[in-house]
Amino acid sequence: MAAPAGTLSPPTLRQILERPDVWRGDALAGTRLPGVPTGFAELDGELPGGGWPRGGLIELLPICDGVGELSLLLPALARVSNDELSWLVCIAPPYSLHAPAWSAGGVDLSRLLVAGASGHDAAWACERSLVAEGVGAVVAWLPDARSTVLRRLQLAAENSRTLLFVFRPALCASQPSPASLRLLLAGEGDQLRVRLLKRRGNACATPVLIAVQRPVPLGHALAGSSTSAPAARRLSQSAVA
Amino acid sequence: MRPGSRLAAAWAVLPNLTVRARDDQREQAVLHRLACWAGTFTSDVCCLPPQTLLLEVAASLRLFGGAAALFERVVNGCAEQGFEPRAALAPTPLAAQWLAAAGDAVPCLHPDELPARLDKLPLAVLPITAPRLSRLHGFGACSLADVLRLPRAGLARRLGADLVADLARARGELPDPRPRFVFPERFAERLEFPAGVENASALGFAGRRLLAVLCGWLTARVAGIRTCVFEFEHEPRADRFPVSVLSLGFAGATRDVDRMAHALLERLPRFELPAAVVAIVLRADTSEALPGRTAGLFGERGTVAGADSLALLAERLQSRLGPGAVHGLAMVAEHRPEKASRRVTPPPPSPGASAIEPTRGARPLWLLAQPRMLREEAGRPHCGGPLRLLTGPERIESGWWDADEPGAVGDVRRDYFIALSVRAEWLWIFRGREGWFLHGMFA
Repeated sequence: MAAPAGTLSPPTLRQILERPDVWRGDALAGTRLPGVPTGFAELDGELPGGGWPRGGLIELLPICDGVGELSLLLPALARVSNDELSWLVCIAPPYSLHAPAWSAGGVDLSRLLVAGASGHDAAWACERSLVAEGVGAVVAWLPDARSTVLRRLQLAAENSRTLLFVFRPALCASQPSPASLRLLLAGEGDQLRVRLLKRRGNACATPVLIAVQRPVPLGHALAGSSTSAPAARRLSQSAVA
Repeated sequence: MRPGSRLAAAWAVLPNLTVRARDDQREQAVLHRLACWAGTFTSDVCCLPPQTLLLEVAASLRLFGGAAALFERVVNGCAEQGFEPRAALAPTPLAAQWLAAAGDAVPCLHPDELPARLDKLPLAVLPITAPRLSRLHGFGACSLADVLRLPRAGLARRLGADLVADLARARGELPDPRPRFVFPERFAERLEFPAGVENASALGFAGRRLLAVLCGWLTARVAGIRTCVFEFEHEPRADRFPVSVLSLGFAGATRDVDRMAHALLERLPRFELPAAVVAIVLRADTSEALPGRTAGLFGERGTVAGADSLALLAERLQSRLGPGAVHGLAMVAEHRPEKASRRVTPPPPSPGASAIEPTRGARPLWLLAQPRMLREEAGRPHCGGPLRLLTGPERIESGWWDADEPGAVGDVRRDYFIALSVRAEWLWIFRGREGWFLHGMFA
């Protein structure tokens, strides 16, 4: 590497190790910007920067829709929308966003933008949202994105302070990805099991169990499934009658 | 070649000469377009046919960062419009005209330096007929300085009072009021191509020129637009003049040329043209008042950081993804889940507007567009396996008022349950008249 004239001394190893894009394989990487707290201390401890890292693509691979993948993001999204007063952009969501639930989750609806798109248009919309000023987080569903598209988004994210979450099917877990952080999500009881497939720094072998917000605690379920169904039937039949 | 020589004589000298008839009407249209464009710099524009445009810029000097910067912007802007102006800057309109005619582009800023600058000008810049000009030469005058040295009374008697008055006006000794150009009520400007154009980038380039003119017109009128219409005229074919219309819409009133050009450039590649384009017309019928923005005194950023750029983003997304694809969300005080969430056009309403009491029951983040019917086995709903009902029922019975309207959700009677599937999906299901349905997910 050519040193600029005047500073003749080459960089020391220590200086190189202090760079945010260089990290040791036996420890978590440092980050240029502090992460956005996830709202779950167990997860914060395992992420470089102590939270969702800015300036990188975060790839989320839920086993199936509805395991709690959005509840995992909600605390951070609420923080972005309410504390930082910045915008939240959802791109190509697979279902309709139900406003009362998002509002109850702490997201300010007046700073939420939803864009329906498909294929390349969705990736393009991500890239545009990343460079726009005032956008705090982008959440995108890109089930068919190729690795070239993801690489491009990763590069766009590196030049931006915006959080970028991309949801892809769990089948993609075996494929290589340019994302700086990859999480595999599965439900386990009323908790969410998060496996860190990839992060900057040492590998994380054990999955993290996170108590995401659930509509009801499991313990307070209707007393046993055998009695609940007939009860339900009786009630609904009386409703229909 | 000299002006006034006959065409036959010209051909004799230059056999390859291409001759084009002068089209006064088109020249006037171009001058009108440039006058509109000049509104970018000042609202005090004077249009002097056939080829002169006067801009009174004294009030604009500070806004544009000084006379030199402003002058450069005007000249460069003219070049962007496709013209090479002979421009000059002087304290009096006539002096500016004469300096421009002499090709002296160095800005003259002070009335004190004006006489010295005028002295150097050749006699050809004077608006007088050829015989009078030769008479002046006969007096032994070679430059304006020589003319100014002559006794005024004698000059007026020999060459007319007009010349003497003009000399006084140019030097600022007599007032020289000029009629103001009246910016039209509705904007419609046309740009012709020398040949048919099929290339989207060339159309975008021409479109940007017209948008710059539109922005000049809007600036002079202190207005902004929400919509404008591009009409692409095609080559006339069999007595038809086919026209393709492209309408651009903006989230808010604007007169930002870059913003408009972005929207145009996003739309153009996807816009299908049946044939090559020979001319573009840009129309803007309705404009609304849009006051200028006060620049920050301390270099601070706006208090609503990002609100502006978000409108821009929404607009760019919309122009590529389609008008209905980009929306905000708002809550509605309604019990039926389909109606409790409403799409709103971006930018969404201000935070105070959505003061709706949240519902008591848990609501899912995802709502299916249409409830999906679930299988029922042994009295229990199935979704990839038997479902475990966690809470419920929450009865929702509402909507008799729009039961007969087409497309409405209508009267519903449903018992909602929160259910857990074997794959640990948290589902929102209901039992209605027809059986079990999946309606949402607590993702």
